[in-house]
Amino acid sequence: MKIIDYITEEKINLSTNLSKIQNFCASKLRETPLPKSQSETWRISNKQKLSSLLEYQYDLNSYQPNIPSYLTSKKAIKINVGNANQFNLKENDWQIKELNTKEINFLIEEKIINNNSEPTWTNLLNHSLVSEENLLGIKISGENIPPLQIFCNSKINHFNAKTLILLIDEKTTVDLLQVNLGDKNSSLSLTTYVWLEKEASLNHGVISLGNGTSNLLNSLDVVQKIGSNYKLSTIQMQYDFARFEVNINQSEGGGHTTIRGMQVSNDNEQIGTYTKVVFNGPKGYLDQLNKSLANDKSHSIFDGSIIVPKNAQKTDAAQLSRNLLLSNTAKIDTKPQLEIIADDVKCKHGATITQLNEDELFYMRSRGLTFAEASKLQLKSYYKEIIDSIPVLEEGLELLNHLIN
Amino acid sequence: MQEKMTGKEPLLEIKNIFASTEDLTILKGVDITIQPGEIHAIMGRNGCGKSTLSKIIAGHPAYKINQGSITFKGKNIKSLEPEERAKSGIFLGFQYPIEIPGVSNLEFLRVATNARRKFLKQQELDTFEFEDLVKEKLELVKMDYAFLNRSINQGFSGGEKKRNEILQMALLNPEIAILDETDSGLDIDALRIVASGIKKIANKENGIILITHYQRLLDEIKPDFVHVMANGQIIKTGDCKLALELEKNGYEWTDQLSQDS
Amino acid sequence: MINENLVSNVVTEPYKYGFVTDIETEKISKGLNEEIIRLISRKKDEPEYLLNFRLKAFKKWQKMEEPNWADLGYKKIDYQDIIYYSAPKQKEKKSSLDEVDPKLLETFDKLGIPLTEQKRLTNVAVDAVFDSVSIATTYKEQLAEHGVIFCSISEAVKEHSALIEKYLGSVVPASDNYFAALNSAVFSDGSFVYIPKGVECPMDLSSYFRINSGDSGQFERTLIIAEESSTVSYLEGCTAPMFDTNTLHAAVVELIALDNASIKYSTVQNWYAGNENGVGGIFNFVTKRGKCLGKKSKISWSQVETGSAITWKYPSCILLGEESIGEFYSVALTNNLQQADTGTKMIHIGAKTKSTIVSKGISAGKSSNSYRGLVKMGSKATGSRNYSQCDSMLIGDQASANTFPYIQSQQPNSEVEHEASTCRISEDQLFYLQSRGIEFEEAVSMMVSGFCRDVFNQLPMEFAAEADKLLALKLEGSVG
Ligand SMILES: Nc1ncnc2c1ncn2[C@@H]1O[C@H](COP(=O)(O)OP(=O)(O)O)[C@@H](O)[C@H]1O
Ligand SMILES: [Mg+2]
Repeated sequence: MKIIDYITEEKINLSTNLSKIQNFCASKLRETPLPKSQSETWRISNKQKLSSLLEYQYDLNSYQPNIPSYLTSKKAIKINVGNANQFNLKENDWQIKELNTKEINFLIEEKIINNNSEPTWTNLLNHSLVSEENLLGIKISGENIPPLQIFCNSKINHFNAKTLILLIDEKTTVDLLQVNLGDKNSSLSLTTYVWLEKEASLNHGVISLGNGTSNLLNSLDVVQKIGSNYKLSTIQMQYDFARFEVNINQSEGGGHTTIRGMQVSNDNEQIGTYTKVVFNGPKGYLDQLNKSLANDKSHSIFDGSIIVPKNAQKTDAAQLSRNLLLSNTAKIDTKPQLEIIADDVKCKHGATITQLNEDELFYMRSRGLTFAEASKLQLKSYYKEIIDSIPVLEEGLELLNHLIN
Repeated sequence: MQEKMTGKEPLLEIKNIFASTEDLTILKGVDITIQPGEIHAIMGRNGCGKSTLSKIIAGHPAYKINQGSITFKGKNIKSLEPEERAKSGIFLGFQYPIEIPGVSNLEFLRVATNARRKFLKQQELDTFEFEDLVKEKLELVKMDYAFLNRSINQGFSGGEKKRNEILQMALLNPEIAILDETDSGLDIDALRIVASGIKKIANKENGIILITHYQRLLDEIKPDFVHVMANGQIIKTGDCKLALELEKNGYEWTDQLSQDS
Repeated sequence: MINENLVSNVVTEPYKYGFVTDIETEKISKGLNEEIIRLISRKKDEPEYLLNFRLKAFKKWQKMEEPNWADLGYKKIDYQDIIYYSAPKQKEKKSSLDEVDPKLLETFDKLGIPLTEQKRLTNVAVDAVFDSVSIATTYKEQLAEHGVIFCSISEAVKEHSALIEKYLGSVVPASDNYFAALNSAVFSDGSFVYIPKGVECPMDLSSYFRINSGDSGQFERTLIIAEESSTVSYLEGCTAPMFDTNTLHAAVVELIALDNASIKYSTVQNWYAGNENGVGGIFNFVTKRGKCLGKKSKISWSQVETGSAITWKYPSCILLGEESIGEFYSVALTNNLQQADTGTKMIHIGAKTKSTIVSKGISAGKSSNSYRGLVKMGSKATGSRNYSQCDSMLIGDQASANTFPYIQSQQPNSEVEHEASTCRISEDQLFYLQSRGIEFEEAVSMMVSGFCRDVFNQLPMEFAAEADKLLALKLEGSVG
């Protein structure tokens, strides 16, 4: 595994400003070069795919990816992670300010070094490769902020790592669409940290579109302060191996979290979403829907836990995992989990694995549609619910058509 | 007993009641006195505190009484548990009767009836005796016996829930019955059934409080007093003509009154 | 505001089966090694194949690691500090009840399971197991008239050896898990049931397990075989005295249902749960599994789990036969420091198989109650369905309720549906009942049993009385 060897054999050029974190992570990675096999969230991951995604050559440099029209927004401010040009966008009533290395060091150290819980393997890998050139940290504050688009990509025959840090200031409302693209035969490691201050609001879209043979290790970590509002809408597809780890912490409770996720797997792909929502205070709210669709010989995984400790009274959390299994040789694993100690809470989860609805198909066919047309219509409606909730996106319909065809 | 016959002691006396939830004061000084044999109607806009008043009489734990007293047959009942109030003859017909999945309606009714009978020093009923009694009362509310085999109120229509409330009232034989919008959402037949159920239990010794928005119930059961509530207070008390006036003019004209007070 | 203390009073009821029978027992020395296994086998006069079965299991067990994935932090068990065979001293297995030590009969009398002919329960045949051995089985002759075999597993080894050799370990292989391997190595007794083709078992069959000694483990083994088109309902009850040490109970239950056969297996588990500080109580690590081998066969598990310090138990169904049916209905009540990790596995292999899971967990005190389940649709399970519903009720803010369903499907033409919710006793529901004159305690227990109604309805009538009594004790305090 090229990348692991590269890191553990100390061949990396330590970036001067982030060397403490880099060292810390690399040494941990030396202890556990690969995720522990007993680890429940890695148990059903395809180990072979995992090791082959680590076989690519590391590349610090990025290039401006070619963004398809259905993923660009004309109005949005567009930022590439890894352009390394300091910027400070400022208008009368808002500001997007790049964080300095001291702030960045502090924030990542809080997460990785000064944290009681073990850092995840995915983040260790990412931070072993972190440097100023592939990291973006910004703080957003003010009012009437224009929509944002942030791009990350991986380059053919290479392994790229990107780190993104977002601080959303008190009472600030932001619409952000994160677009991750992968070239053929490439791997992207992306770690995103989001801090939502009191009453801040982030409408966060994440579209990860590979090229069939691309790979993705995507980690998203969100801390929500009281009264904040976080809405995550994601689509991931066309990766040979994709793993999306979402960690949301309502650190004081009283936050509002909505998650709309969708993953589609074809061919021999393995696509997985692992979410964990923790309520560390009372009166939190969660509404989560994860959809997955598995075709051909693919494998789709959803693992979602909701944790409600004693101090999280009056939490209201609902999670639904809906899965469509469309082929005899495909496989779906879904594992919703509730861990509850507080007694005055409303928590529920549900999971279904089905095919396309037979009655609906029949109804459409009895009106003259072919089986293929009817299925396509149904699939469209299945996707549409998610696409409709993605912010900033202007060409949702075009995206939908692209995804269906 | 003696006192009651002479009508000197009120059945229920609510004096200057202030009540609140954790963060909201709802009742702001309510007075009502009910003598045996009287029927009172309480009207008023949604949200003015009618249901709250009825629930604190029944002892709902969500409300705190900050001031005032509630006296039932000469005894302050403020510290009594809800079941103690129920056994001693206070009945609340809920505006929104709650559904309790899994708990058999029949068993519930039997346990409740026997609790009241025990208090009255009447003989408790075994399953067969109770079946006879309940069949007789079912007739009154025109409900089918099949309802009793279901869980409490679960999957009942609005009208069925309300009739189930009246059935409970008939079984428990209360001395004071508070009926919170029992007539809301009922069709004409159901309204008649409910009204006749109420009439059956009304007598010289009992008191009844009807919380309602509609004249049509008061046409069937003529109240002795009509109270208008606004913003946690009783702002006007009159006879049945007051209800007619409200029906005609709506609650708007009472706004003036509530501002004055 | 619900008074939490009152609620917990309702669910805290002294354990009524905590007495110890003072009887002379024959125990072998503590510890586990090959010699001990040979000794157990010799004591039971077992055929060669069974000794080999045990020894092979023991070898496997030695290589296995004790599982720690369940949500249960418990003290490490010292397997060398356990006595693996303990039996009340009596000469041979008695042919007639009159010869059984009256103290034993008295014990079962006290537990509400009279065994003597005059007093025995009508319509239920009982196999009474005391520590490591079965001491009596009622109604044997009447059952034999129908061709039904109901006896202790030791007796079956002697008299129905072919069946034992064919089926023992065929559903739960010795290598299945740590505790199954341990059981396979050291099992002492248990019940055996065989229902011949076309026979509807004329009465319910029941085993009653009593742990009496404090330092011996109980490792019983149950095997039920239902031949083509036969039906049986089997009930299992358990109690143990109060000791301040933990006693290990690691049972294995295997069910086999052939074409059109139906087995209903109901458990009321009330092992001693330890005291309110978590001292003592049974460690209950049980492997229960049924195989629906035949077409349209059906296996239904219902369980009411109220006891044990730790419960680790996942009665499962392997749905092999086309159109076979698996069911799991469970109520698990935990209080104080009890821990329950229970659930089921439904493995759909055959086409058009169906499974239903209804699980109700109630956690009070500082207890922890987890549902852990697996539903698996194999690639040939076309047209199969699963429906699961898991509800938890929390009483007080110290208890925890976890739900870990795991669903895996490889068959597009099948449907899996899972729902789970968590609630507590709603203040408004309590008030409604109280406002009709029902006492607080009774209202709570009415609502808890209402919460469990879907599962209680599945318990067989004959068992219902006994189960009701037990639940009443746990739930209804002095009111029931
Ligand atoms: N348990 C409660 N918690 C918070 N607010 C309440 C509660 N009960 C009543 N209220 C509020 O108090 C006011 C009076 O309610 P209610 O007594 O139900 O009015 P009415 O029956 O006259 O329509 C409303 O504003 C209502 O929202
Ligand atoms: Mg009201």
